Amino acid sequence: MACEPNRVRLLCMLSLTFGFFIVEVVVSRITSSLAMLSDSFHMLSDVIALLVALVAVRFAEKTQATNKNTFGWIRAEVMGALVNAVFLTALCFTIILEAIERFTEPNEIDSPYIVIGVGAAGLLVNLLGLCLFHGHAGGGHGHSHGGGGGGHGHSHGSGGHSHGKKKTGQICKSEKPNSSSSETNTLVVVDHNSPNGVNSENRGYDFSKDGTELQTNGSPLYDDVDHSSAAQLNMRGVFLHVLGDALGSVIVVVNALIFTFVWQPCLPDEACLNPCINSHSTDHQHVNQTLVGLTDPGAYRMAGPCWVLYMDPTLCIMMVLILLYTTYPLLKESALILLQTVPKQIDMHQLNEKLLCLEGVLAIHELHIWQLAGSRIIATAHIKCHDPTAYMDVAKRIKDFFHDEGIHATTIQPEFVTFSSDSRDSLCELSCRTQCAPKLCCGSADKAAEKKAASEADDGLREVSPATLEVISEDPEQAAALPLVVTPEPAAAPREAESFL
Amino acid sequence: MLPLSAKDDEYKPAKLNLLAKTSGWFRAILSDQTSRNLFFFLLLNLSFAFVELSYGIWSNSLGLISDSFHMFFDCTALLAGLAASVISRWRCNDSFSYGYVRAEVLAGFVNGLFLIFTAFFIFSEGVERALEPPDVHHDRLLPVSVAGLLVNLVGIFVFQHGGHGHSHGDDGGHGHSHSLFNGSANHKDSHTDSHGGHGHSHGGHGHSHGGHGHSHQDQHSHQDQALYSQGVFLHIVADTLGSVGVIISALLMQKYDLMIADPICSMLISLLIGVSVVPLLRESIGILMQRTPPTLDHALPECYQRVQQLQGVYNIQEPHFWTLCTDVYVGTLKLLVAPDADARWIQTQTHNIFTQVGVRQLYVQIDIAAM
Repeated sequence: MACEPNRVRLLCMLSLTFGFFIVEVVVSRITSSLAMLSDSFHMLSDVIALLVALVAVRFAEKTQATNKNTFGWIRAEVMGALVNAVFLTALCFTIILEAIERFTEPNEIDSPYIVIGVGAAGLLVNLLGLCLFHGHAGGGHGHSHGGGGGGHGHSHGSGGHSHGKKKTGQICKSEKPNSSSSETNTLVVVDHNSPNGVNSENRGYDFSKDGTELQTNGSPLYDDVDHSSAAQLNMRGVFLHVLGDALGSVIVVVNALIFTFVWQPCLPDEACLNPCINSHSTDHQHVNQTLVGLTDPGAYRMAGPCWVLYMDPTLCIMMVLILLYTTYPLLKESALILLQTVPKQIDMHQLNEKLLCLEGVLAIHELHIWQLAGSRIIATAHIKCHDPTAYMDVAKRIKDFFHDEGIHATTIQPEFVTFSSDSRDSLCELSCRTQCAPKLCCGSADKAAEKKAASEADDGLREVSPATLEVISEDPEQAAALPLVVTPEPAAAPREAESFL
Repeated sequence: MLPLSAKDDEYKPAKLNLLAKTSGWFRAILSDQTSRNLFFFLLLNLSFAFVELSYGIWSNSLGLISDSFHMFFDCTALLAGLAASVISRWRCNDSFSYGYVRAEVLAGFVNGLFLIFTAFFIFSEGVERALEPPDVHHDRLLPVSVAGLLVNLVGIFVFQHGGHGHSHGDDGGHGHSHSLFNGSANHKDSHTDSHGGHGHSHGGHGHSHGGHGHSHQDQHSHQDQALYSQGVFLHIVADTLGSVGVIISALLMQKYDLMIADPICSMLISLLIGVSVVPLLRESIGILMQRTPPTLDHALPECYQRVQQLQGVYNIQEPHFWTLCTDVYVGTLKLLVAPDADARWIQTQTHNIFTQVGVRQLYVQIDIAAM
């Protein structure tokens, strides 16, 4: 399958991270350090993020339509990206909470050497992940929290910084054969959220479009392209996680190193005072918390510089800010796709105008364009044209026009000009009933149309074929009247058909 | 010549009239039953959170402070629901051709995710506490738990009735109960616990539930309403059980000194929350994945048959039906028809057939077969 490499990489990272999680849990039990245990839970949450991405990739590979999911599962990757982004945001909040707690109550690191060791191991895993995923739209995890002993606990996180938005996903695309044909349309697949990155998808694809292809949208060619560009979104989410972890483990190691070299702890058998830890934690493990029993005030020394203890939360907060800054575009983009937004590269006004310029197109209503996932854009519209014979030509022209814009799945409903409707070019022929008017876009126009149609439906009933269309838009009572009106219709139809032929 | 016409409106820069905007939002929120309830519940939760925060600062209890932070976190979920209920009413524009109605589904989904995250977090705290039980100060535990339970009960009462409100979706977290704080003190050691001070189960951490917003209109199939309001209710019940659980564990700890009761309660509650979120997630994922509406699963094949029996229709191709938001279904269809068929009549009939099952936005493309 086209995106197999992604899956393999995800699996690799998943197993590495999970292994590391187990290691941390074991070490935390051995050293009975609660901070490391909590850190391992953070890692578990990263494992879950990787799992989500993996599930999304697996699902999205099934791009064939099923009965229930007529579009296939291609949206799964956008969902995976959203879930990851939301998860990252929630994690950021948690880290901020912990950092604030740490500010009010600073803690020393109990065994800094273990912390450095675990932190370095985690950093290695992370870097490995970064290398693996760097060329493939990110992804990968690896963590390292190394939260060892006291003090730390977390600070992990997913940093994320501009992880070089080089989402290329080249591998997926290179496997797609381009069928050359007489007619070439260039598909501009824009990865619209990589402002500075390489837009690897700006390549031309040749699609053969002729009359017979009007009925087939969503051919397998598209699936691979969409899959890979949607996969990028998903992989980006995972990549952010990994980077965050890398940053987190860097912070852990740096903090532990500074702590080892700068901090002068109070040794257990020495009389000294630790001014940084206030009397809140009266039962703290370290001795020297209390001043009780110190006979000679001048003989004790102070424990190391206090600012060292505040470095951990400060660095954490910085990391969180970086992370939030980089997660926000991902969150926004996946949310916009799920909200059925018009894709950014398409300008509705311009499209409308160009469509109106096409020969045979009298009016356009209810134009909806939305993005399914990646580069797969779907458009639906009502197009008013003269009569059914001209319709097939117009339909072909419209399809070609949309293909030029990069929209390949279109459904165009024709509306034919009725004899009485020359003056009402801008209204829908088959408009919605009143209930959905406020929910739709032909909003105010439709309300006016319905009122007009209501008044003309009575006239319409007297005319035979064209006006029956208007009856549809009325309320249920009139819809019930429809069967009565329809029967003359087939009789009229052959008469009309003759005139068209 | 100087231009005489004065279409000054076009050239006025958009004024950011913040006051007008916010008052507009307030009006929108207050106009609708469910979002009104949500708003007041949010205020209740926020005030409880502030009270807890100030009490924690005054009594220097880190546990209380951290718990109040968790409550603020829950309030953001409620806020998301409120935002969704306002946003989904905005008019459609160039970038959002369908309008913003999907916002409520998205908000419900995001809330469900937050809930799962919270459940996971609480579970992990419970495990930590089980492995290394910290000392818990009971004295502050009981009154705060009872207060939390009361807030929960208010939520049950309000959302049981307001649930069917036809409001437009707030798929927001509502009903929440708020977190119960508890005890605190454990700054004793492990700072990690201090999140909790929870020495307990995060007290029914008010979770914002993923709201289900029942959004949709009155004449709609009550089936959907029932699902949504059922979801809200389930969540509030879970939170109430959480508060009850905290009270029980507090009592157990006081009377029998059973420290293990607390983490076990935490874990049970997190499992409860996780389980209750699943239906909401399933439904919102279905909608977001453009799945065929479940209510139409049985009706659609019959419709296809009827359409194929229309005179002149050879074939139906590429039918796609999906849910825009609750009870608003959109469909696209391609029909292959004979060259001498009456396209208009076929279209009308098709629209009729599908309108009867509830699909009002249908796009029927007619492809005339070449002879």
